[in-house]
Amino acid sequence: MVTATWTIPGACVVAATYGVVAAFYLRLALHALRWLEAARRSPTARPRGIAATARAFVGATVDIVLLRKLLLVNPALWCGEWVFHGSLLLVVLRHLRYFLNPVPAWVVWAQTPGWIAGFLLPAALGYILVVRLLTGQEKFSSPVNLLMLLDVLGIAVTGLLMSTWYPVDLVAVKLFALGVVTFSPSAPPLEILFTIHLGLVLALILYVPSHVVTAPFTLLDARRRELDLRRVLHDA
Amino acid sequence: MTRKRSFGAELTPRQLLEIDACTQCGECLKHCPVQQVTGDASVSPPEKIRRFREFLRATDGLKARLVGAQAVDPRLLEDFAKAVYECTTCGACGQSCPVGIFTQRLWPTLRKELVKRGLGPRGIQAGMPGAIERTGNPYDKPAAERFSPWFPEHVDVAPRADLAYYAGCSGSYEAWPMVRGDVLVLHATGVPFTMLPAAEEVCCGFPLFITGQHDRLAELTKRLVDGYASRGVKTLVCSCPCCVNIMSRDWPVFYGRELPFRIRHITQFVAAAIKEGKLRIRRELRESVIYHDPCYLSRGVGVIEEPREVLRSIPGLTLLEFERHGLDSRCCGSGGAARKVFHDNAIAMGRLTIDEAVAKRADRLILSCPACYAKVNEALQGHERQIKITDIMELLASVVEKEQP
Repeated sequence: MVTATWTIPGACVVAATYGVVAAFYLRLALHALRWLEAARRSPTARPRGIAATARAFVGATVDIVLLRKLLLVNPALWCGEWVFHGSLLLVVLRHLRYFLNPVPAWVVWAQTPGWIAGFLLPAALGYILVVRLLTGQEKFSSPVNLLMLLDVLGIAVTGLLMSTWYPVDLVAVKLFALGVVTFSPSAPPLEILFTIHLGLVLALILYVPSHVVTAPFTLLDARRRELDLRRVLHDA
Repeated sequence: MTRKRSFGAELTPRQLLEIDACTQCGECLKHCPVQQVTGDASVSPPEKIRRFREFLRATDGLKARLVGAQAVDPRLLEDFAKAVYECTTCGACGQSCPVGIFTQRLWPTLRKELVKRGLGPRGIQAGMPGAIERTGNPYDKPAAERFSPWFPEHVDVAPRADLAYYAGCSGSYEAWPMVRGDVLVLHATGVPFTMLPAAEEVCCGFPLFITGQHDRLAELTKRLVDGYASRGVKTLVCSCPCCVNIMSRDWPVFYGRELPFRIRHITQFVAAAIKEGKLRIRRELRESVIYHDPCYLSRGVGVIEEPREVLRSIPGLTLLEFERHGLDSRCCGSGGAARKVFHDNAIAMGRLTIDEAVAKRADRLILSCPACYAKVNEALQGHERQIKITDIMELLASVVEKEQP
């Protein structure tokens, strides 16, 4: 087993990793503080019945899993986005083997689907890019949104290269990842593809769109509104 | 260290989540009528949200919490305020939002914050509270002229009744054929109805609400609700979608409890009256008509089928649909109290509605909102494409049996 030895660049990578993760949590905490402050000054919402809440919850789950609202407005983009989000989830699950020891059975089961998803992910991102360019979507969407897309594409491509043609020292990667989450960091493998991959992941964490956390809540609320709309002026 | 007022002070937790949830994907932009006629990116929903996020960071971000609120470029704020007030608040952006942001409520809430900061309302909107104080309506027209120019002489108004009719300011002062049609159709049903006297039927509060001027809303609501309650009203009908919207969604909040009567749009009452045989339609009308869904009636309170039921009940009539209809309807340009401030935008949007109606070979464009009625008629003037514009109750009044000349 070859493990990476500590170097100044390696120490910088570890410091950057902790810094970015800390910044992410700080950002999340600031947003949560803002939501809590608003909740304190807002009137308490009228309680809903269990049946209505359950209906909204089930509907919102469908909306989140199927990205239903996007399907309704842009089916061409939806195909790519659905494959992208699904494969990203599988790839993230596959990556849990680096952060957990021992590796749970369900993470082991996720390895093959995650490996296949590793191929679908860049394909889906490429498709999204093509659809957006061909349908003129770029003139509507923000440059930040495009940058994020390119960032994830970079992560997907470097990840795919490492899992196929240019393998890295997986033991060193696991020691590094496990060390980071257990606060006993090991030196990262300073292989160029891994460093680029990690750098792009850190950039994504730093600028991760806040909708990743908040969209499920807004979709739940939208589903409630949809169900309530027929009750505003109509007898239930 | 004291913190400056937060930019999110007027927003609910849900709305703050919505601000965070915007993916900046731009799907909404394809449906924004103001974007369509101005091409101005700063007006677009994602751009407004992106800017508002910057303002929020200035008062609620880490730096603001550690060393105090950061200054915001006044020019950016002014541009933002203009963009928020230029919006018609039609809510089409929210309807097409992949993460379900309720923009029909978000934009008016941002206006409320802008008013607190002295950046709103705009132009003629600023005079509305004073006008309502003086005359009871935002147009500053005499209360004595609220009903007299259009109210049919042969129609009786009961002093007390289960049913009440609220004509509204826009209908009473700017869309007479519409409110006259309402009253004629109600009369034709044979159901007694009551109304508040002209001086007591004050503004429902919507123009103040939509421009972010909330100070007098509770008082106006109380006056109206107590007025109808004292007449024993069980059902209050109104034809103005904006009035119906604020009555059903916000009056209970401003009143502090549930209303002692239910709110219905006039098409709901009339559709039921037709089904129950209370209203008979004698004349047939061999025409193709196209119905425009007002934003605050369809997306706002979910009244979509009843206007169509009313129109389909007219023998001989063929009902056409706009490409975007129902929940997806396109704004005619009159919404958000922007029609008199951003007049050119409203005219351009109104003409898009007219053009599509003409392209669909409709004989008549049917509207059911006084603001739409006033502005689309204005847009028709001098336009190369012409079509008859009629309110839905105006049309129905012309074919029901009890109509009087």
